[in-house]
Amino acid sequence: MFRDKPNHVRCVWALFLFGLIGIPALYFSGTISIDTVNMLGRYLAFAIAAIGLDLIWGYCGVLSLCQALFFALGGYAMGMYLAHHGGPEGIVDKDGWKLPACLFVVYPYEVGEAPGDAMVPWFWKPFFSLPLTVLLGMALPGVVAAVIGYFGFRSRVRGVYFAILTQAITVAGWLVFCMNNMKLCGTNGLTRFNTIAGFELSSHGVKFGLYLLTLVCLIGVFCFCRFLVSTRLGRVLVAVRDDETNLRFFGYKPYMFKMFVFALAAALGGLGGMLYTPQMGIITPEYMTAKWSILFVIWVAVGGRGTLSGAVLGALGVNLVYNFLTTSWPEAWPFVQGLLFVGVVLLFPKGIAGLLDLIRFKRLAKRNVEA
Amino acid sequence: MRHSLAFFMAVATGWMLSQPVAAADSSADTANDTALLEQMAKLASDDAALRKQVLFDLAKSGDSRLEAFLENYRSGSVYLWNGQIVVCTETEEDEDFNELAPLTHPLTGEPVLGEDGNQAKPDILDLEDMSPDRAGRLAARSALFLLKLSSPDRESRLVAVKKSGTPPYNAESIPFLTDMAENDPDEKIQFTARESLLLIRLGTDVPLGQAQERWAAAGQLAGMKSLRALPVLEELLRDGGFSKHGQAAREQCENAVASINSHQSFVNWVGYVFQGLSLGSILIIMALGLAITFGLMGVINMAHGELMMVGAFTTYVIQQLFVNHLPEGLFNWYYVVALPSAFLAAAFVGWLIELAVVRHLYRRPLESLLATWGVSILLIQSARLIFGDNIGVNSPTWLVGSAEVMQDVNLPYNRLFIITLCALCVAMIYTLINRTKLGLRMRATMQNRDMADSLGVNTRRIDSYTFAFGSGLAGLAGYALTLIGGVTPDMGQNYIVESFLVVVTGGVGELLGVICSGLGLGVATKVIEPMQFGDFTVEAIWAKVFVLACVVAFIQFKPAGLFPPKGRLADV
Repeated sequence: MFRDKPNHVRCVWALFLFGLIGIPALYFSGTISIDTVNMLGRYLAFAIAAIGLDLIWGYCGVLSLCQALFFALGGYAMGMYLAHHGGPEGIVDKDGWKLPACLFVVYPYEVGEAPGDAMVPWFWKPFFSLPLTVLLGMALPGVVAAVIGYFGFRSRVRGVYFAILTQAITVAGWLVFCMNNMKLCGTNGLTRFNTIAGFELSSHGVKFGLYLLTLVCLIGVFCFCRFLVSTRLGRVLVAVRDDETNLRFFGYKPYMFKMFVFALAAALGGLGGMLYTPQMGIITPEYMTAKWSILFVIWVAVGGRGTLSGAVLGALGVNLVYNFLTTSWPEAWPFVQGLLFVGVVLLFPKGIAGLLDLIRFKRLAKRNVEA
Repeated sequence: MRHSLAFFMAVATGWMLSQPVAAADSSADTANDTALLEQMAKLASDDAALRKQVLFDLAKSGDSRLEAFLENYRSGSVYLWNGQIVVCTETEEDEDFNELAPLTHPLTGEPVLGEDGNQAKPDILDLEDMSPDRAGRLAARSALFLLKLSSPDRESRLVAVKKSGTPPYNAESIPFLTDMAENDPDEKIQFTARESLLLIRLGTDVPLGQAQERWAAAGQLAGMKSLRALPVLEELLRDGGFSKHGQAAREQCENAVASINSHQSFVNWVGYVFQGLSLGSILIIMALGLAITFGLMGVINMAHGELMMVGAFTTYVIQQLFVNHLPEGLFNWYYVVALPSAFLAAAFVGWLIELAVVRHLYRRPLESLLATWGVSILLIQSARLIFGDNIGVNSPTWLVGSAEVMQDVNLPYNRLFIITLCALCVAMIYTLINRTKLGLRMRATMQNRDMADSLGVNTRRIDSYTFAFGSGLAGLAGYALTLIGGVTPDMGQNYIVESFLVVVTGGVGELLGVICSGLGLGVATKVIEPMQFGDFTVEAIWAKVFVLACVVAFIQFKPAGLFPPKGRLADV
C-alpha cells in the first residue's frame, strides 16, 4: 500500500501506527507515565495546527503569521466551554447563569458594582454546549480568516507584506485578549477546568482518551489534506504558489482559492487549539504573541514545507527535542533552537521530509546500480 | 556623517557645561551669621510685636539653616545662656538628679563649647526660657513658611509661591508675594506670585461692598490663563453664593472658566501632539535601520530588535565602565561616549550576522525570516547568560527634567533628545545614500545586483556594508530607548512588529515613507488615545488596536505602502 508513497509519508504513517498501538502498549505496560501520554497529546494538537499552516504556506505560498491567533481562538472557545463546567467558586447571576470560576475571580466591575451585579457576558453563553463549542471553535477562526483573506488577497497583498499584516493582526488580538475589560480573564487566561462532557479531566482514563482523540483527529486531518492536495484543487493551489499572475490570465480567481485555503487552515488551527486546551488545562493570551506565531512557521520549516507530513514531523520533532532539553539542560535550549532554525534554513531548506526523501533516493539509486 | 556627529557632540558638550553648578557653600559668610544671631537675641524681648517682627525679618534672610531654628523655637527648645542664644532639644540627668542641658548652636547645630573645651552642659535652671506663647508659635509657623518664600533656591521658592496660593491662605505672605511679583529675579516666579495673589483675592470672602475687586480677579486670572484658578472657580460656581453677589459676578466667573478651559484644551492638544511626535520619532528611529536592511536589501531581519538590544547593552557597559573606572564628575560623559559605541557594536554584530547567515539568503526572503529569528534567539540567550535579566541604565543628569517652552507646556529633555537624534540620523542616512559614492553603489546593488556587479561594483562587500550600517542604526535606536524603557535581553521583541509595520506602511525602500508613516502612526496613536465617545474613553490599547486596523485597511488601498516603488522596480 505504501510502496509508491514518498519516504516522509511512510514515516508519518509509521508514527501514526506507533501512536495507535505502541504508545497504548507502553502506557498500559507501565513503561511511560500518563504525563508523557498527555504531553504527546498536546504535541499532536500542535501538529494539527501545523498541517493547516502547511496548506496555506507550503501549497499556496502565502506565509501567514496568524496561525497562532487561530490556534488561540479555538483554544479560547474550548476554554470557555470548560470554564462554564468547572471550578466551584462563582455565583449565579440574575439570568440564572453560573459565572465561570476563572471569570468570577477577575471580573471587571464597573464603578459602583458589587459582586452580585456580575453578569455572564453574552459571548460566553453559546459556549455552554459542547457541539456548539466545537462548531464555533472551528467556524470562528475560519470566518476571521476568510475576512482577512478576502480583503488581503483581493487587493493582492503579497509575500512579506501579508506576513507582516497577519503578524500585526495577531498582535492586535493579543492586546485585546490581554485586556481584563474584555471579560476574557485578561492575562490570567481561562483556567479552573474540571470536566469535559461529564468526564473528570484529572482522571488518567480521560487524559488517555483525549490523547487518542487528538491522534484520530490528526490522522483524519492528515488524510483529508492529502486527499485535498491530490485533487484538481491542489494543483490550482500549487499554481497559485508558483505563478499567480499566469493563473489569473487563465481566467482563475486566485484570491478565491487563497481565501478558501486560508480559512481552512484557520479552522484546522482552531481544531488544534480546541484539542490542546483540555490537555493543557489553561489557555492564555500568551499563545497569540509574536513568538508563538513564528514557532508554528518554524515547525513547518523544520519538517519541510509543502509536504504535509513535514508539518507533523516538525511539530513533533521540535517539541520533543524542546521537552528533552528543557528538562535536562534548560540553558541550552535557546541555543539549540536558534542554531536549529539557522541550520535548517541554510543547510536543509527542505527540512526533515527532504532529508528522508534524500535517504530513499540514495538507496533506490544504489539498488538500481546493483540491478 | 563625521561632521554631523562632531556637531552633535559639540552641542551636547555645551549643554552639559551650561548646567548650573551646585550652589556655593554659604556657611563661610560669618558676618551674615553675626547679624542673624543679633536678630535672634531680640527674641528674648518682652515686646510681642517686636518678637513677631524679628521672626519675619529672620524669614526674609531666606537662610535654610533657620528652618531648624524656627522649629526649635516653636517647640520651646531655644534658651538664653549668658546673653547668648542656644538650643537644647533634650536634657540629661546626672547622679544628683540635676537636669543638665547640652547646648547646641542655633544656626550650625554644632555643640556649644564650655570653658573646659567640652560641650557646655549647664543646669537647666541656669537657662533663661524663651518659649513663645500661642501667638508666638503661630508667628513662628508663618515665619517658617515665609522662610521658604525667601529661599535662594529657585525650585523651593517656586513650590512655596505655588503653595501660598492654595487655601488655607497665609495673610503674612501677601507682602512677600507683592514684593516677589515685582522684584524676583526669576520671571516664572514673578508670574506665579502674581497668580497666587489673585488666587488669594478670589478665594477670600469679603464684605459685599468690596466684592468688586474680588470678581475682577477672576477676569485677571483668565487673562493670565491660570490653570490653577480653574478648580477654584469651578468650586465657586458649584457652591453658589452668587445670589447675594449678583448675576454680573457669576458671569465674570463663567467667562473666566470658559477662557481658561480653552487654554487648558490648547495645552492638552500641544501635549498630545508632542507625545505623538515623540512616539513617532521613536518609531522612526527603530524603523530606520529596518528601512535599510528590509526596505533596501529585502531581508526580513527578525533580529533587528536584538540589534537594538545590543545597542542598549553597549550603553550599559559603557556606563558601568564610567562608574567603576573613572571619577564621578565624568559620569555624564558616558552617554556621549556610548553613542558611537552603540552604533559600532551593533554594526559589528550585524556584520557577523550578514557574513554567517543572511549572505546565503538574498534570493529567499521569506526564509531569511526564519534564520534571523533563530539568530535573535541566540542573541537573547547570550545576553541573558552574560548580563542577567535585570540591569539598569541611568539617564545622564543633563537629560533629566523638562523645558517649559510655553506657559504650562513642559517638554521633557529626554524626548527632545530622541527627536533630535532621530532628525540627525535621518540627515545622516539621506547624505550617505544620496550624496556619497558608497550610497550610489548601495543603491545600484539593491536595484540591479547583476548589472552593478558587471559594472565593477563589489556587490558582496556592499551587501555587508549596507547590512552593517542598518544594524548600526538599530544599535542607535537601542541607545535612545535606554532613556525611556527598561533594558532587558528580550526588549527587542516588544518593538519588532511595530518597526516592520512602520516600514511596510511607508513603502519599502523610501526614506521619506518611513518618516511619514512613523510620524503619522505616532501622532495618530497619541491623538486618538484621550478621545471620548460618550462613556467610552479610548485608551492606550484600543488606540493601538485602532491604528493597527487603520494600517490593515490602508494596505488594502496601497498594497505597496505610502510611497510605492515606481517603474521597473515595481515588479521586483
